[in-house]
Amino acid sequence: MRNNIISTIFKKELREVLRDKRMIYLIILLPFFTYPVLFTLIGKVGQNQQEKIRDDKVTLLVNPESAELPIVKTLEAMLNLEVEPLSFTKDMIDTMSTAIGVQIDQKPDSNGDLSIAIYFDESKDLLNARKHQVVGVIKAYEKQVVQQRLAQQELPPEFIDPVLLEEVNMASDEQIAGKILGSFLPMLLLIFIFVGCIYIAIDITSGEKERKTLQSLFTAPIHVPEIIAGKFLAVFCVGLVSALMNVLSLMVAMLIQVRLMGGADAMGTFAISISTEGWLWIGLIVFLTTIFLAALTLAVVQLANSYKEAQSYVSPLMMVVIIPAVLSQMPGMELTMSTAMIPMLNIALALGAVLKGTYDIVLIGAVAASVVVYAALSLWLASKVFRNENVTTGQKVSLKKLFG
Amino acid sequence: MQVQIEARNLTKDFEELRAVDDLSFDVKAGEIFGLLGPNGAGKTTTLRMLSGLLTPSSGEAFINGHSMSNQKIEARKSLGFLTGEMDLYRRLKPLELLKYFGNLYEVPEKELDERINHLADVFGINDFKDRYCEKLSTGQKQRVSIVRTLVHDPQVVILDEPTTGLDIMASEFILQFIRKMAKEEGKTVIFSTHHLNEVERLCDRIAIIHEGKLKHYGTMQEAKSITQRENLADAFFNLVTEA
Repeated sequence: MRNNIISTIFKKELREVLRDKRMIYLIILLPFFTYPVLFTLIGKVGQNQQEKIRDDKVTLLVNPESAELPIVKTLEAMLNLEVEPLSFTKDMIDTMSTAIGVQIDQKPDSNGDLSIAIYFDESKDLLNARKHQVVGVIKAYEKQVVQQRLAQQELPPEFIDPVLLEEVNMASDEQIAGKILGSFLPMLLLIFIFVGCIYIAIDITSGEKERKTLQSLFTAPIHVPEIIAGKFLAVFCVGLVSALMNVLSLMVAMLIQVRLMGGADAMGTFAISISTEGWLWIGLIVFLTTIFLAALTLAVVQLANSYKEAQSYVSPLMMVVIIPAVLSQMPGMELTMSTAMIPMLNIALALGAVLKGTYDIVLIGAVAASVVVYAALSLWLASKVFRNENVTTGQKVSLKKLFG
Repeated sequence: MQVQIEARNLTKDFEELRAVDDLSFDVKAGEIFGLLGPNGAGKTTTLRMLSGLLTPSSGEAFINGHSMSNQKIEARKSLGFLTGEMDLYRRLKPLELLKYFGNLYEVPEKELDERINHLADVFGINDFKDRYCEKLSTGQKQRVSIVRTLVHDPQVVILDEPTTGLDIMASEFILQFIRKMAKEEGKTVIFSTHHLNEVERLCDRIAIIHEGKLKHYGTMQEAKSITQRENLADAFFNLVTEA
């Protein structure tokens, strides 16, 4: 392979990409403008929703016989509840969109004990939130009654608490932030790399076929691996830059959002602590993953003869990337020697483990090695596909013949 | 004269269809050779096998003495190939595109600059050199395409319908350039077209193919004599319909 030829093809592909406004939008403008705007919008909508749930009034229907009970008086004092003594039915609660029914009855032959039933629609966030408030008031009332009864019996409050349970969270803010990031960042990173690779891969393979520019390359005195190498390097660079831009922009947008919502103090809880070694592993895995996805997308989309046809391959390929990444978040899913061999799943698990700071260097090394193998296989596949004359001349490609 | 293009028993099968059937001919240095045939005759498949885009099912193609099967790189260095299936990179400017192909053919930098300047002058490319190729007219694109084909100064040039879609002025310019290239610079040209008047004006010898088979190989005069027709169009019609 001649480096000057590979470099010539690579530079030409990059030059064309940098002159493509759509690609520039996708790689630079989209991450830098979309995420901050999107996060601000989501934050605003979330904040409005929270205020609505906090402040909106809900009608609390209580049976008239209980209207004078102390517990009902306590509920009446709450600003976001409008207590209305009324004999209600379940249908009535259903019909009223913002109402909760509380049926309070005195237990027969008891020392003022109450039997309380709450009727509410759990599917509505507002009613669910008010129900929790009502339950809180009832629990507080119950505690007060119990304490009075203990006092009457001259018993200490600890009488009903024989076990004192204390939960001590040993995780630092950094570890908690790492856990949160580790739960979604690997999947986003895979998607970012994939999206960065796929559009340029389509543009310089099936897009070129459609624009009739590929054949002139294949009549030049160039070896197929040189063409593949030049095009692959372009896809790799754009994929990597796109992923880094996206992650950077996402982190900045998230930090801005955390600061806006929680002030400067909240920034501390968002700090992540990754060792130098951890960063090196993340860098290596992202680098190898980009090689893998660049080669894979290049191999697949060059089978298409047009932009439109290639775009129909995007969704299935996206599923190949996303489903294993989603699986990595399932309870009990951990990085082991077996999962380290499963493409995409291994990457998501490895990145997650490094972000959480719970990685095993041997397993991370195994992931890196398996990604190298998959990347090499994908490059071999891309090269094999490109050698097929039907691919270069824009004819229908028979997979049977390709691998037969 | 030295044989520069040789098709030796070229055959190409596409699954059940035999597109080209045992085709043999050769073209000598300085010769303009017309490849004629109705639509679907196998002209494009033949030209693609000569350029190495398609691998023959059997037989072999040679360019400037190099086998397209075993010495593809050497054979392609001597070849300039242009078909209607080739367009220009839309986001490159004409001179950038020419430089790109010159580099792919490993033309030395100084020689490449001189060659591009010369061809840009001859083909009037400097008038639109600052525009992206996607903004060029059909005629301007075709001029750039032809210069792209010639940028590495190939000994053998294959032109598949180079005047399609061009107005009479642009067509005439290209035809005259082809003649000059062959007769003054000694280039070997295979020229494929549907315009028989262009063939009559330019070509030294012709091959007429139909349904993948060679129907005539020789001079135009021989074609007329064999068919006892007075003009090439009648002779062509007779040869492709006699089967």
